Amino acid sequence: MAASAYTLRQIADLPGHEDRAWNVAWNPTRPLLASCSADKTVRLYHYTAEGIFENVSSVSTGHAKTVRSVAWAPSGKTFATGSFDSNIAVWEQEAPFEDGDGGMDVDEGQEPRGEWECASLLEGHETECKCVAYSSTGTFLASCSRDKTVWIWEVKPDAEFECTSVLMTHSQDVKCVAWHPTEEILASGSYDEKIYLYVEDPMDDWYEFTTLTGHEGTVWSLAFSPCGNYLASSSDDLTIRLWQRVDKSRWELNTTLKGHDRSIYSVSWTKGADGSLGWLASAGGDGKINVWELRRNTDERKTSLEAALIASVGDAHGVCDVNSVSWCPREGFGNLLASVGDDAILRVWKIERLS
Amino acid sequence: MAFSGALTLTDLNDFITPSQACIKPVEQTNKPQEVENRGDASTEIRIDSAGSYYEVSSGASSSRKLEVAQISLNDCLACSGCITSAESVLITMQSHEEVMGVLSANPPKEKEGHRVPVISISPQSLASFAANVSSSSATGPSVTLRQMLSRIRAFCTEELGFEHVYDTTFARHISLLEHVQEFRERKGASRLNEGAARLPMLASACPGWVCYAEKTHAEMLPFISRTKSPQQVMGTLVKSWLGHKWGKNPDEIYHVTVMPCYDKKLEASRSDFYNDVYSTRDVDCVITTSELELLMRERGWDLSLPVPSENMRPESHSCEFPELLGHPGSSSGSYLSSLVSEFSSSETELSTKTIRSSDYEEYTLTNKRTNEVVFRGARCYGFRNLQNVVRKVGRDAGVGTSRGAAGRLANVRAKRGAKAGGTDAVGSSSYDYVEVMACPSGCVNGGGQLKPPLGFASGVTSSESSTISDDNAARWGNKEWTKRVEQAYWHDLPTPPPSPTPTDTDQFPTTSISDGKTSHLLADKLAVQILSDLCEQQGIIYWSDTMGENGEGLRKKFFRTEYRAVESEVLGIQVKW
Repeated sequence: MAASAYTLRQIADLPGHEDRAWNVAWNPTRPLLASCSADKTVRLYHYTAEGIFENVSSVSTGHAKTVRSVAWAPSGKTFATGSFDSNIAVWEQEAPFEDGDGGMDVDEGQEPRGEWECASLLEGHETECKCVAYSSTGTFLASCSRDKTVWIWEVKPDAEFECTSVLMTHSQDVKCVAWHPTEEILASGSYDEKIYLYVEDPMDDWYEFTTLTGHEGTVWSLAFSPCGNYLASSSDDLTIRLWQRVDKSRWELNTTLKGHDRSIYSVSWTKGADGSLGWLASAGGDGKINVWELRRNTDERKTSLEAALIASVGDAHGVCDVNSVSWCPREGFGNLLASVGDDAILRVWKIERLS
Repeated sequence: MAFSGALTLTDLNDFITPSQACIKPVEQTNKPQEVENRGDASTEIRIDSAGSYYEVSSGASSSRKLEVAQISLNDCLACSGCITSAESVLITMQSHEEVMGVLSANPPKEKEGHRVPVISISPQSLASFAANVSSSSATGPSVTLRQMLSRIRAFCTEELGFEHVYDTTFARHISLLEHVQEFRERKGASRLNEGAARLPMLASACPGWVCYAEKTHAEMLPFISRTKSPQQVMGTLVKSWLGHKWGKNPDEIYHVTVMPCYDKKLEASRSDFYNDVYSTRDVDCVITTSELELLMRERGWDLSLPVPSENMRPESHSCEFPELLGHPGSSSGSYLSSLVSEFSSSETELSTKTIRSSDYEEYTLTNKRTNEVVFRGARCYGFRNLQNVVRKVGRDAGVGTSRGAAGRLANVRAKRGAKAGGTDAVGSSSYDYVEVMACPSGCVNGGGQLKPPLGFASGVTSSESSTISDDNAARWGNKEWTKRVEQAYWHDLPTPPPSPTPTDTDQFPTTSISDGKTSHLLADKLAVQILSDLCEQQGIIYWSDTMGENGEGLRKKFFRTEYRAVESEVLGIQVKW
């Protein structure tokens, strides 16, 4: 184990939320970082290549309750919020210039500062919406709720949405949804300890083509590997499980990771070092942020992955729970990890190789 | 607990699974059994894994299982706890056991207190039975709805003691007539910009949809048709019209219906269909297709065996109503298609467009000369399509959504509309009418229908993932099987034309008279007679004739109903997830 070959260095400490912060999401195309909170706002931060973060906007969402989840569309032009008021809102930025023909091609460091406006409201969940996620092409938006359902909306022009599926597979509160990085495969995890994977039947509705069982507690978070051949799930049972795609529609448990001693609320997977399967960050109730480097087994007879804990930070948000971690998906910023916690603070970390 | 044996959670595929357990049992206060414990507040309630509630005294090792409250369907209608509740609560008021109880306690004819037992069967239920019987005998000829009705009539009269057995297609005929009438009223009112009655009109025959709208989309209620569903029109016919003919008061008749859907029980329980004067309902009890089948099994009745009466001419037995009237269009009741044919003429052309699947189809009638759209409607089945209809109607009609939400949206919409210069309105592709049904594939796939026979190949099974497909089939019904039921439904009714042609479903008067037309003419005549009798109005020739104030008031009373938004009363703390 090449333990502690790397270190996580905190590069930004961004207070501002007035209540616990739940979720954090990097804009995939622009230097913007979004966090959401029980204070019903979404805060947006602009950042520079030098790692200077500046709050550029605090969007009062109008949601009647906690904003639990925030997700950017792959275009980076819109984001969606999922709230405990059961609704999902989709946000677009007002054109930055009054005459309207300026376009959005703004140089880095000159982010358009137009107001973010609610362009669409998606109703349908009966109770708290727990998570929202855009598919890799931006065609679909998925959401899940305590009402046990997973909804899939098709994104149409002019901020319109069409409901393409309401999946009632889970028997309990659905905590998270995640899309495959290249294909239209959706995963969901729930309080019922199960993970379902769904695809669309071209003649019909979406359906669950497989069930991943094994967790002995709530499944809190899901993250596909950048290559799309693995899925990481984190749970109340203090494990992270890595599921491998062994066939087109068959996924099997590959490896179980242990490294937290409270519920693991969030996982995020990024490309990481060359030659590896990437870095997996995890965080949760124990206040710890772990980063694992994953590789194919050097012993070619074994299919199980090799996982090395390459960095770990304790008390990342003081004594508070860490609710969400997220790797920056933008080229050149892949070493940035954001985290939010019950302390209402957003922190940004840089993973660096120890010299 | 006496609730219908056919009603178990795994059996159900009504459109929405309740997302929370019924909260009513928690509200129940148990009778204090141990008086000596009074004042001793140190008891607690525990819930076991099966969801039963136990009262546990502190210090005592014993615990007492608490009684579950008796929930009536009326409680469900008044509660906003779960969305469609018929499936999750303990239904004691409407079950096949209840039917048997009433029948066995019924004093003999001519005796004091005798109630005339009447049973009315939906054509979708008949189709479910027909498909079932036909598939179980691989060699035999397929059974028609007419044969099936004869066999069920034999069972219900000989075995159960029903005095009258009807099918509900004539009631549906009236429902469709009134439906068209209401649509014309709304269209007239919308031209004059009168706010009350609005377009698009949305079908109201599906109680699951009505219940969902009342609980979560109150903004849709003004659009939902006020016309009674075939079941409730049947209730009026039996209790008011036939009752009068027979010299019986409404409470001297016991009326049971057989329906493809559990939510029909909720519909029958609505206070609108309760007669205060006689303390009775228009439909006393609703059982599902599968509950009737259970009754047959308990009695050892074999539906696959022919009965003597089934080969006789239909006219040979006396029945007050025309039987098995075909209405071309959809197996869920042909509501859209009755309006399409109403507005069709030699000058119009019908085009249809499938959106995503056969569960969502748009029908547009265009004037061939002017290219003007005469009528635009849609047939929309299943929960997800229903969501899109709610969104579309809300958007087109500019009605706010019921639930508190991101309040800034309204501003943005207004701004966007202003900026776009009203481009949204161009083309104005809003609907005049939508036939909404909550179940995918409509009523033939209702939650109360018979399950496919064992071993019936699931249409979605693939070698790759057979176990999953089975799960899927259990959840959403078996597509192949639903197709069979659909085929059985149309077997001796007119086949649904791919696009209803005006000549095929023309209104009378007409010169060319086919068999189907004869029965429709007879049905129309009888319908007008009934309207005239019930509304105390002489000289009516057509269903659409305008009557006096009194007559129109009675028309509303007998053939229309009302809807009410149900405010959320659920406290988060009571909800068990």
